[in-house]
Amino acid sequence: MSTRGRSELQINLATNIVIISMAMLFATLFMGYAIYRSSAPVWPPMGVQRVSLLLPSLSTVVLFISSFFCYQVSVSTKKNELSKGHKYLNLTILFGVGFMVLQGLLWNQMKSSGLFVSSGIFASITYAFTWIHFAHMVAGLLALLYLKKILKPETVNLLTKTSSVENFWYFLEIVWIIMFITLFVF
Amino acid sequence: MSGGYNEIHPEPTTFWSKYIFSFDHKVIAKQFLWYGIFFLGVGGLMALLIRWTLANPGVPVPLIGNILFSGSGGVVPPDTYAMLFTMHGTIMIFYAITPILIGAFGNYCIPLMIGARDMAFPLLNMLSFWFAFLSGAVLLLSLFIPQGAAAGGWTSYPTLSTLIGSPGAGQTLWCVAIFIFGISSTMGAVNYVTTVITLRAPGMGYFDMPLTVWGLWLTAILNAIFVPVLGAGVILLILDRVFGTTFFLAGASATSGSGDPVLFQHVFWIFGHPEVYILILPAWGIVSDLLSFFSRKPAFGAKATALSMTSISILSTLVYGHHMFTTQMSPLLTQSFMTLTMTISIPSAIFFANWLGTIWKGSIRFDSPMLFSLGVVFVFGLGGLTGLHLGTTTTDLFLHDTYFVVGHFHYTMAASVLLGGFAGIYFWFPKMFGRMMHEGLAKVHFWGTMIPLNGIFFGMLLVGYGGMHRRIYNPFIYESLQRLIPVNNLITTSAILMGFFQLVFVYNLIKSLLSGEKATNNPWEVGTLEWTIPSPPPHHNYDIIPVVKCGPHELGNPNLKTGRDFQYQTEELVQA
Repeated sequence: MSTRGRSELQINLATNIVIISMAMLFATLFMGYAIYRSSAPVWPPMGVQRVSLLLPSLSTVVLFISSFFCYQVSVSTKKNELSKGHKYLNLTILFGVGFMVLQGLLWNQMKSSGLFVSSGIFASITYAFTWIHFAHMVAGLLALLYLKKILKPETVNLLTKTSSVENFWYFLEIVWIIMFITLFVF
Repeated sequence: MSGGYNEIHPEPTTFWSKYIFSFDHKVIAKQFLWYGIFFLGVGGLMALLIRWTLANPGVPVPLIGNILFSGSGGVVPPDTYAMLFTMHGTIMIFYAITPILIGAFGNYCIPLMIGARDMAFPLLNMLSFWFAFLSGAVLLLSLFIPQGAAAGGWTSYPTLSTLIGSPGAGQTLWCVAIFIFGISSTMGAVNYVTTVITLRAPGMGYFDMPLTVWGLWLTAILNAIFVPVLGAGVILLILDRVFGTTFFLAGASATSGSGDPVLFQHVFWIFGHPEVYILILPAWGIVSDLLSFFSRKPAFGAKATALSMTSISILSTLVYGHHMFTTQMSPLLTQSFMTLTMTISIPSAIFFANWLGTIWKGSIRFDSPMLFSLGVVFVFGLGGLTGLHLGTTTTDLFLHDTYFVVGHFHYTMAASVLLGGFAGIYFWFPKMFGRMMHEGLAKVHFWGTMIPLNGIFFGMLLVGYGGMHRRIYNPFIYESLQRLIPVNNLITTSAILMGFFQLVFVYNLIKSLLSGEKATNNPWEVGTLEWTIPSPPPHHNYDIIPVVKCGPHELGNPNLKTGRDFQYQTEELVQA
């Protein structure tokens, strides 16, 4: 194996292990959710209102657009058009931040409709899952900023590093979509 | 961030970059070693306090009682007793065994034994230690806050661990400490897995790796997958305690929609059962190698040993329910978990037979690493066999939560891992520090550990079978248990004796470090890669990356004409 191929493999392995670890964390959360939900007589529990779908749907769209731009970053990097890559990266970050702002609005809305963190298991799950996902979004954003810093022609293994950050961003997107479907839609 | 394969990092020159924030895997390994030995002392002292209380309820602790428990006249108070067994378990598992077996040996052995110059990600490696350090500091801090440390058992089951069961900040700090430790473990795991896959020396296939590396590698894989499960559990527990969510609150305490305390048990053991193997696999690997090295014979069925360890790692993820037979599980589930648990006996029996096959008719050298390895064979055998009683639903319903359980898991997780750890320390000390440990003192330490250790843990099996429950402050208020006082006294006396003989180890360690006999490159005459380079190895380990031509256990080959009875992994396998 060449030194170059080896260090590419190292980066890919490390990224995948990190993603598997985080996936296990979220899988545990969803397992708990499945148990709560299947053992509850009605869902949402008596006297609890569902969260309005507007903000979660908007968040989904915004995050999807952000992932689309993220995909464009790696496409441009592969074509060696780094200035285009920077432009798309800025858009990725912008829409990522937009998603986070929408999450803040969502929490506000839940609070003003009387759904507090301590108002039972439905609220516990909705708040805790979105918080934990948000914390990972912060990590994802830091990864994007790191990519912003290294997105230059002289960076070693640039393509591998770009695709690592990209995969991590997709992972966060996938987790959100599962949350959107299971927590808000159904 | 990734370390190039062949590049030699410049040697650090300042004190800080050389000894404190070092990227060098050998220095990080030593940091983990001292960290682990420190916490081993703290956890051991706690064990002695627990044992003193059980053998002499209401009697002040001699020597240190008046300093530690001045409020109660030197007697361990009941709430402090709960904190002691909680912190003893937590410290021993996460802060003593994990750093020594995985942190120290993982860091030291993996790159050296596979012929690499460092880990794949040296910076991540350093961060892993400092996260562990932070975690340990948080845990120690929790001992000194008002209302004291966590007291819900190392398993921290709700409702004991919710605000109802433990109102103080201790339990929250416990959760935070465990979470940070999880991050540290995951960082380590990323490094170990990647290093083993990408940095093996040319010519080294997976089955040419020493079994030590196999054990550590499998441990790292399990770590990466299952530590985050506990991470999720403690995050939810923190949210319950700090933000008022109701994940683990049921009934009247949960206002609308019910949480589920038993869910935490599921989450805990989905992590917890693999964790048992996370702790024992490195010790199995070390022992599998050492038995071969000191019997001067190839490891019997080395490939089968590696594959059984692998299948145990896989099976370990499917059996966690056997910790929860008494939680009103469906009998269909208990039977499935029981059957899967019994299945683990098959690969365990394979590698156990391989251990015996390795020493069979060997020219055994009874040096201290070998003595400790043979100790592991004995105590792990006992620990494994007592596991059968607990994996079987019918007997477990009777034995659940008794000292039989305590005896069993101490035999497997404490005794074998401790002895395996000592074997490793005596074996690699010359390589780590360039000096030999005193062999006579090491032998005294072995017998002084081995005999009392069996007094303690076999005694626990007996009192448990006699019906004594764990975690009771004073079991002898129950008349039926008073007949167990003499055995409990035996256990405590053994514990004090064993504690005393650990001082011999500490003395030997310090003395050898300062003035031990200088070690040669290869004092034990074995052929794995780390013994081809000077003791201690230079900063970059290998001047030239070695090329591997044979397996790690080529000892006692009758065709050897070199005057040695072993050959190095860098030499072509000698054939007739």
